[in-house]
Formats: sequence, C-alpha cells, structure tokens
Amino acid sequence: MSQKTCFVTVGATASFTALIRAVLEADFLTALQNNGYTELLVQYGEGGKQLFDTHSKTAINAAKDEGNEIKISGFDLDKAGLGRYMRQAKGANLGAGEGVVISHAGSGTILDALRISVPLIVVPNADLLDNHQVELAEVLAEQDYVVYGKLESLDKALGEAEVWRKKQRQWPPTNSGVHRHANGLKGVMDEEMGFLD
Amino acid sequence: MGIVTSILTIIPLILLPAIAYRVLIITDPKRNKPLRHGRQNAQEPTHLLIVLGSGGHTAEMMSMLERAVTDPDPKLKLNWKDYTHRTWVVSSGDSISAQRAKEFEEMATPLSTQDHLMAGKVKKATDIGPGKYEIVTVPRAREIHQSLWTSPVSSLQCTLECWKVLTTHTTDTRDGHLPQAGKTDFPDLILCNGPATSTILVFTSILLRFLNHRGCSERHKMRTIYVESWARVKQPSLSGKLLCRVVDRFLVQWPQLEKAVGGRAEYLGMLV
Repeated sequence: MSQKTCFVTVGATASFTALIRAVLEADFLTALQNNGYTELLVQYGEGGKQLFDTHSKTAINAAKDEGNEIKISGFDLDKAGLGRYMRQAKGANLGAGEGVVISHAGSGTILDALRISVPLIVVPNADLLDNHQVELAEVLAEQDYVVYGKLESLDKALGEAEVWRKKQRQWPPTNSGVHRHANGLKGVMDEEMGFLD
Repeated sequence: MGIVTSILTIIPLILLPAIAYRVLIITDPKRNKPLRHGRQNAQEPTHLLIVLGSGGHTAEMMSMLERAVTDPDPKLKLNWKDYTHRTWVVSSGDSISAQRAKEFEEMATPLSTQDHLMAGKVKKATDIGPGKYEIVTVPRAREIHQSLWTSPVSSLQCTLECWKVLTTHTTDTRDGHLPQAGKTDFPDLILCNGPATSTILVFTSILLRFLNHRGCSERHKMRTIYVESWARVKQPSLSGKLLCRVVDRFLVQWPQLEKAVGGRAEYLGMLV
C-alpha cells in the first residue's frame, strides 16, 4: 500500500490537548484505516509530550487488535517550520499518495497549507477566548478552501476531505468583480510613496 | 472668580481645540505627499519600515510581501529595490521573525535585479545596488495575553525605543530641516499589521509628526499602511480599532469587515 500521511498540528502558542486526544481515539483511527492512511504524524506542542505518549501507546495497541497497522509518531515543535511535514502530507515522497492536514485555526498554518494546496481540515480551539478563529474557519469552509472539522466528528471530516480533494479551489484566489483592477499591496504602497509612473 | 482660575480655564479652552486641530491635520490621509522624480533615483533615497510581530503576524506579513515581490503580473509586482533602505522592527527575543526578514531580503533583492535584466534594463540592474536593510529590536509592548493598558511601563519603554528607531537616521544639524541629498532619512512609509508594538510605533510616528520633529511633518515623512489580519473576518482586532482613524491606509482582507469598520477601511482583495 502506498504511503498516505495524516499530519495533525496544534500550533506553537496555545495548547490544544482536546485535538491531540481526538485524533488518538479508536473511531478516528478506524476512519484513517478505512480511507487508506498509513501514517499519523502529530505536532503536539510544548507540554503535549506526556499526553501524546500515553494516549498513542494505548491507541497503537488498540489499533493492532483491530488489524490496523497505522504508524503513529509525534514531535513537539520544529523551529524550521512545518513545511516539511505538510509536504509529506501532500504526498511529496516517492510513491506516496496525497493525505490530509488537520490543523488548529491559526492563520499562519492555514496559509501554509493552502499555499501547497494540501487538503486541510481546520479545527478551531474552543478554549481560546477570542472566537475570531472560528469565523475564519467558517468563512474559508463556506468558500470551499478548507473542511471545517469538529472535535467530536473528526472521522466524518476525514471522509469529507476525500470528496473535497476533487473540487479544491486554487490559492491565492484571483481577484474578481470590482477588485479585478485593484493593484494589491504594491499599488497602495506606490500611491502612498507618491511614485507617479 | 480669581484671575488664576480664569487663566486656568482659558488655557485648556484654547489649547485643546488647537491640539485637536493639529492632530486632525497630520492624520488626514489627503495631506500632501512628497514630490518624487521616479523610482530608484539615487538622489532621492526611500526608506520603508516594516513591523513584524510574532507567530501569525509575522507569517502574514512575510506571506503578503512574498506574494507581492513574486507576482506574475508586472502591474502587481513589487520591486524591492524601489526602497533603498529597509528597516525591519522585531520584538526582543523573537529570533524567528528576524530570521524570516533576513531570508526575505536575500530572496527579494536578487529578484529585483533579475527583473531589470529581463526587461533589458541592464544599466538599472548593474548600477543600482541592493540597498541596505537593518533589523532592529524593540522591547515587547506587552506579553501575550496581557492587555495593552495594564502595561504602562513596558509600553512607555517601547515608545522610547520606537522613537529611537524612527529618528535613528536623522540629525539635528540640518539647515532649515532640508533633507540632505542621497542620505537616508525618516521612514517614508510604515507598513504594519497588528502586533501591539506596531500600534505603539504608529502612535509614536504621529507624535513625531505632531511636533514636526526635525521637519518630518513638513517633509511628508512616515505615511502609514495598516493591514488587518486575514484572520479577522467580521470584527477588527484591538490594534485595528485603535489605528483605524489615524493611519493613512487601512486595508482589510474580507469584504464584510470593510463595512464593519467603516471610515478608512478598504477591501482590495486578499493580500496574504
């Protein structure tokens, strides 16, 4: 079977233990197997190691009993960025198929994933006081850029990602309508500088 | 009423409207822009200042700039050498943002030379050097999750450092405040996107213009562009709320936010 990676990232600034727990649940691991995934890679953030280690051990054992041979691994943070892991999920390795990224709703991570156009499931962190991350995830899901994932039904989101893979929209979006002629950041900078050409 | 009390009442009555009037004038986006004679004119150096935050702010700023300097459409493509001096402001301890700035500089300047060569402008490509850039650090205005106004001491320290950063290439000894040809001066343009430091830096630039410190206001320096975070869909951020009436350009990345903010907010498509 060709390699197919599900990469999960919780980000660097806030902890998101609920997401780590959710992707190590039996239902989710079964869903991974049903969708042909061979590898689950988790960026669990600072302080997430203990939780990840204990939960992944039980998860691996439980999966083996069910005949699920999925490889589960994790790391806390990578200063060099997540590009490498996102490309692995994209299927950049020889003979690998395209997988999926499951991410917290941080704008930087979402942008990284959109730029290499890997299917993305965004899971907003309900523990954060400010809910603007939910708004971003909603509007992006509405416009078919990402799949909106809920913690309690991640297995369903995984199935949606398979369908969504085929209708994925290109990034960055081309300007349309009244903004077709807008000159972007350069235009604004030129106007403010007083460059007249 | 004694004479002292009446003087004490009259002075604020005269001063306050005067101050308000001055603030309105210097924060009017329609105020005069400097007269320039073409881009990349060695006699007219240009100075761009970019504020990086941490995490998402830096990611968005770098994404926006990378998109602009690599845009396939020549009309939208930012030529990095249009700015002869670039100042990157990062918060102390944020080595990742400093690293990203350095990487961007190493990518963007050769790109600009390449553009000139492709367009057959050999003289431009060879004569105009890469310009200069510097990465300066200022102390954090506040720690993550600390509110802006509960940290007066660190905010004040940050303001002082911002003052230093903004005035670092200026001197007191200019005749009649005229800029010296070919020398770097105050930033012409400040580009920022929302970390607390950027709010303080923009307000410091307004204070400098209010005082016309070293002639910065009459020489039309420090125009400001604020780009609201792409993550803000319906409501502006705290920095956005504080800055939306005082920056020259307030760019938002979702149409619904343009309406919510009103005033100076403009939606020109997604920029990240």
